[in-house]
Amino acid sequence: MAEAAATAGAGGSGTRSGSKQSTNPADNYHLARRRTLQVVVSSLLTEAGFESAEKASVETLTEMLQSYISEIGRSAKSYCEHTARTQPTLSDIVVTLVEMGFNVDTLPAYAKRSQRMVITARNEFPDPHTYIKTPTYREPVSDYQVLREKAASQRRDVERALTRFMAKTGETQSLFKDDVSTFPLIAARPFTIPYLTALLPSELEMQQMEETDSSEQDEQTDTENLALHISMEDSGAEKENTSVLQQNPSLSGSRNGEENIIDNPYLRPVKKPKIRRKK
Amino acid sequence: MPLTGVETARMNRKKGDKGFESPRPYKLTHQVVCINNINFQRKSVVGFVELTIFPTVANLNRIKLNSKQCRIYRVRINDLEAAFIYNDPTLEVCHSESKQRNLNYFSNAYAAAVSAVDPDAGNGELCIKVPSELWKHVDELKVLKIHINFSLDQPKGGLHFVVPSVEGSMAERGAHVFSCGYQNSTRFWFPCVDSYSELCTWKLEFTVDAAMVAVSNGDLVETVYTHDMRKKTFHYMLTIPTAASNISLAIGPFEILVDPYMHEVTHFCLPQLLPLLKHTTSYLHEVFEFYEEILTCRYPYSCFKTVFIDEAYVEVAAYASMSIFSTNLLHSAMIIDETPLTRRCLAQSLAQQFFGCFISRMSWSDEWVLKGISGYIYGLWMKKTFGVNEYRHWIKEELDRIVAYELKTGGVLLHPIFGGGKEKDNPASHLHFSIKHPHTLSWEYYTMFQCKAHLVMRLIENRISMEFMLQVFNKLLSLASTASSQKFQSHMWSQMLVSTSGFLKSISNVSGKDIQPLIKQWVDQSGVVKFYGSFAFNRKRNVLELEIKQDYTSPGTQKYVGPLKVTVQELDGSFNHTLQIEENSLKHDIPCHSKSRRNKKKKIPLMNGEEVDMDLSAMDADSPLLWIRIDPDMSVLRKVEFEQADFMWQYQLRYERDVVAQQESILALEKFPTPASRLALTDILEQEQCFYRVRMSACFCLAKIANSMVSTWTGPPAMKSLFTRMFCCKSCPNIVKTNNFMSFQSYFLQKTMPVAMALLRDVHNLCPKEVLTFILDLIKYNDNRKNKFSDNYYRAEMIDALANSVTPAVSVNNEVRTLDNLNPDVRLILEEITRFLNMEKLLPSYRHTITVSCLRAIRVLQKNGHVPSDPALFKSYAEYGHFVDIRIAALEAVVDYTKVDRSYEELQWLLNMIQDDPVPYVRHKILNMLTKNPPFTKNMESPLCNEALVDQLWKLMNSGTSHDWRLRCGAVDLYFTLFGLSRPSCLPLPELGLVLNLKEKKAVLNPTIIPEAVAINQEAANNPSSHPQLVGFQNPFSSSQDEEEIDMDTVHDSQAFISHHLNMLERPSTPGLSKYRPASSRSALIPQHSTGCDSTPTTKPQWSLELARKGTGKEQSPLEMGMHPVASAPLSVFTKESTASKHSDHHHHHHHEHKKKKKKHKHKHKHKHKHDSKEKDKEPFTFSSPASGRSIRSPSLSD
Repeated sequence: MAEAAATAGAGGSGTRSGSKQSTNPADNYHLARRRTLQVVVSSLLTEAGFESAEKASVETLTEMLQSYISEIGRSAKSYCEHTARTQPTLSDIVVTLVEMGFNVDTLPAYAKRSQRMVITARNEFPDPHTYIKTPTYREPVSDYQVLREKAASQRRDVERALTRFMAKTGETQSLFKDDVSTFPLIAARPFTIPYLTALLPSELEMQQMEETDSSEQDEQTDTENLALHISMEDSGAEKENTSVLQQNPSLSGSRNGEENIIDNPYLRPVKKPKIRRKK
Repeated sequence: MPLTGVETARMNRKKGDKGFESPRPYKLTHQVVCINNINFQRKSVVGFVELTIFPTVANLNRIKLNSKQCRIYRVRINDLEAAFIYNDPTLEVCHSESKQRNLNYFSNAYAAAVSAVDPDAGNGELCIKVPSELWKHVDELKVLKIHINFSLDQPKGGLHFVVPSVEGSMAERGAHVFSCGYQNSTRFWFPCVDSYSELCTWKLEFTVDAAMVAVSNGDLVETVYTHDMRKKTFHYMLTIPTAASNISLAIGPFEILVDPYMHEVTHFCLPQLLPLLKHTTSYLHEVFEFYEEILTCRYPYSCFKTVFIDEAYVEVAAYASMSIFSTNLLHSAMIIDETPLTRRCLAQSLAQQFFGCFISRMSWSDEWVLKGISGYIYGLWMKKTFGVNEYRHWIKEELDRIVAYELKTGGVLLHPIFGGGKEKDNPASHLHFSIKHPHTLSWEYYTMFQCKAHLVMRLIENRISMEFMLQVFNKLLSLASTASSQKFQSHMWSQMLVSTSGFLKSISNVSGKDIQPLIKQWVDQSGVVKFYGSFAFNRKRNVLELEIKQDYTSPGTQKYVGPLKVTVQELDGSFNHTLQIEENSLKHDIPCHSKSRRNKKKKIPLMNGEEVDMDLSAMDADSPLLWIRIDPDMSVLRKVEFEQADFMWQYQLRYERDVVAQQESILALEKFPTPASRLALTDILEQEQCFYRVRMSACFCLAKIANSMVSTWTGPPAMKSLFTRMFCCKSCPNIVKTNNFMSFQSYFLQKTMPVAMALLRDVHNLCPKEVLTFILDLIKYNDNRKNKFSDNYYRAEMIDALANSVTPAVSVNNEVRTLDNLNPDVRLILEEITRFLNMEKLLPSYRHTITVSCLRAIRVLQKNGHVPSDPALFKSYAEYGHFVDIRIAALEAVVDYTKVDRSYEELQWLLNMIQDDPVPYVRHKILNMLTKNPPFTKNMESPLCNEALVDQLWKLMNSGTSHDWRLRCGAVDLYFTLFGLSRPSCLPLPELGLVLNLKEKKAVLNPTIIPEAVAINQEAANNPSSHPQLVGFQNPFSSSQDEEEIDMDTVHDSQAFISHHLNMLERPSTPGLSKYRPASSRSALIPQHSTGCDSTPTTKPQWSLELARKGTGKEQSPLEMGMHPVASAPLSVFTKESTASKHSDHHHHHHHEHKKKKKKHKHKHKHKHKHDSKEKDKEPFTFSSPASGRSIRSPSLSD
């Protein structure tokens, strides 16, 4: 079993603790880690009230713990790379744990439990001076011209790369018959509803606009709720009017007298057909 | 007895103010339109109409209605089945077999065909026979209810279906349908009296899918589900009497927005566009308020609806209580450029609600009043909204447009009068189309007509003051609204129609002023005035000697006699002088107020009371004149070419406060490339308080001046340092500031300056490298992240600037354009275009302005030989499914390619698109662009000009475009541009065999019904064969040839029917016609036709008029005809003589002809005898019109 884990080992695959043939430093490293994990498992077992344990069961629990931790690491790495970072943050770990079905909220309580075992480090920590670091980085450019220059060329490069990519992966047109790669034009593709792309602002622009008139919208929704499909301030509700059968056309009379409700024939409910007598 | 159209028109003119005389023998009071089924998949419509009419004559037995395209299943009158005949001569104007290819002939035939179904002349395509059971009922003038069941299948005009081909239900797909068309086009989608003068009340019902909304005229009374609950029926009532032509419909899955300011106003747009709709219409209530205030009149309808639809026929279409707009007018708050344009469209449509929809016109010749008033009040709105500068600038622009058009084509007549008058009276002899009907007008002419109409209204305002003007409008409106509320007195409804005479009477009543001379000059007469002015200063007398000459001999001009205002800016101030322009006085002495005294330092008072310091060193020491302006208020429709010294123009530009004067001086300064001009222009450019449009045009003028003085130019390229100072960063002048378009004036200037700069050229006639780098830097450093507004128009203009910088490639021995020999500058430009065009695919800009500019720029590169000329790219962008602006830009490039490369293939491709494209606007636009940028013209040799093309175009205008008036007229325009009025020169000479064929045909047919005209036909057929160059002469005859040919070949039911029908009515006598009619002299020769072949009285005078018109163009023929007035004179002889005498070099042909003519001649006489005996009781003077007299064998109604 352990051998299988060793061959398939994704993260820190360990060899059996008993096998001492390996001498290279990497293996030593694994052994050391594994030993640490064994200590952790043992102390957890002690905490749980076990007096002793068989070596095989300790070994199995160690194996489980190791793969669990490896999985956290692997998953957190993916999350962090997904957002174009190289260093995982706390939130990556949290998301990972959540993803693995772990209730993160219980973690602080668990950490503060009274009966926990504290494992004292066997080795001394290194001297404090070894922790001192002096990061070196360039002075941030604050020159306006350079910044503009940089922003412009960066944007240009991105646009260029993106359009080139699009051109390479899709159909293209060319202005020169003999050369299709120097000025590749993404092929013109007709739309089924061309006016939508032409008229609607991009999503980013949309957001900005929504922010400005969100206050109006709030009012509208209020009125809608009040007015119960009868007559409404706005068309959001109107869609319902046109598509959904009106349940209570008799209520239409109640419109009168309310100031904020508009009497517009297009907002009135659709009438049910008169029932004709069967011949 | 019903009157014919011409007679009615005549009566209208005589007693126009006494009321309206209907051309119909009945009065329509109410109409029901019910469309119970609309199928988007099949694009079909099923429904019925019910017209309530009151006969006005006792023996009404035929009822004529308009209907096109509709399939009519059943007609019932008062529940009795009624026989009907449906026929439309406009479907195929000339017979398809006809070999006739000259436009003159076509235009006449087309005009005749249109008037044969013209509701204003009491005609129509659909003729219903009143069942005999009802005759007694009719004699008592009791009500008739005509019920017509009809359907429409895949309509090509009138109703336009937009059905995107995506998954989902029709509502989810955004499928919609709307009515559209040019002028009165309602007959395309339901049977009606399609006239602006026949008013009635309406009940409109539309049953549509439950997810759809049907928007139509009047009040929405209720919406009811059908029994299966899947559909609902919209019930509309329009109680204000309205003409059928003002009825409209739009059905689609519209989003509904009730106007937050006016709850009776509802806006509709296509799904997903609601946020745009909200923003776009948020302004409309202000327009309402404005109009209601100035007209002191409430909006006449109880509700108003705006519908924004895709694939619009025109941007704005106004109908009774609703307007249909193009969806492309919608915009968000981030768009600057579109906002004023859209608002103008909204305001325009609203003005037409008052004048055009609510108040309708009596006849076509009164159209100018409505267009004039609506255009005029729209102008007032412009003045209030955008300011006086914008308004004056607009007026100047419109004036320039109309002047340019009239000088080019020879005049626009606002109030055409068509009598049976002499050929001189024919108002439009210079045009290749008839102006008798709106449906025969070229679209461009019609736009110019509208433009002139509102300018003339402004002239009237100048004369009688705005206050009176508005009182007149108010009077018209209040009369109309009183009349409209008279529910049961339909005779009162004619008060809602405006006529020229009524309008003028109203003006004289209100103002007490006589504006007859003004009307005569601008309304009853076409043409503009062309002034040439120059001056000299007489120092001794201290007098300004002004010389004003006129050119009134060129086409499109007229002589002006009357007052003319001249403003002279002197050192002591500005002085107005009113000169009387008379026949012979060219010189006018104007006394000057100030002595020249430039030493005294004193401020100079301007017209507006402002006093300014001026540097007077530039001016002439002896003269106190700073500048002179002729007709500064634009109170004459004129073009002024005035000569004054360059320094005077410069003073005018700097100190005159009127934007029009500034604009004029900028134009004039182009001719004075001096450092002083440069300085004046630069100063204007920098002046913040100067009108932005003036500053924009100063940019272009500066570029031109810089190019003219390139050898002496010092300093950086023009405008560069200015632009740097205004728009670039202080610390790094090569980098433009991040965009901030809060100040629109500087936004427009920022957009325009680089475009103008790119026009600069160095000594080698290349765009200076410095300028190109500058523009490329602008593009590179463009940063819109912090801007509240979109920069799409700005970026588009930067691409335009790049395109402007392109100069022709230096080509070494015609090498093929490849990438290797690409100019490095062009490579940079191309790089930018590629990037922009590709980015558009990922982040499209508003209305794809950037794609449009890129396509244009690519075409410029192709045209200048930098990139191989190839239409493939443009053709792919021109396909259906791209945004319409892109398509038009691409098509423009293809049109240009067709011209430059003389490509037959592309021309065919374009012509196919004209026939097949789903969007009417695109079809229209292609024709328009081809006309503007034709692949060849009539005087040009071109490999493209061949017989097949002639046939193809002929077919297009003859029958291919019958569903769309505008398109047909566009095709006529193109045909005219390519081939001219006469027979296209590329056609081979018709063979003489044609004559034999004709004879054979004749021999086959029954001689009693074949008129002797055949004999003449053969003459005609001979003439073109022998004298193809004798265009003018052959025309009248060749047309008659064709017309007879048709007679023999086909049965054209409609015309025969119409003519027959009219024949049965009392024919009005047309005395005197034969006196001056060459045509009648011809017809006198031919006592014509059996009953069925007799022509309509309506078309008769017109036809003759057209013949006469042809005559005027070609001097000889009428003259010579006049020499043979005797009815019995053998025409063939005359023809022979005339041709022979004039063209003796064609004698051998003549011999040939003579023989034939003699033969025919005999024949003719034989026939004549027969006719004489047979038709003693018939009127001798009849003749056929091409549209009416075609068929002999057509079914007669009475049997």
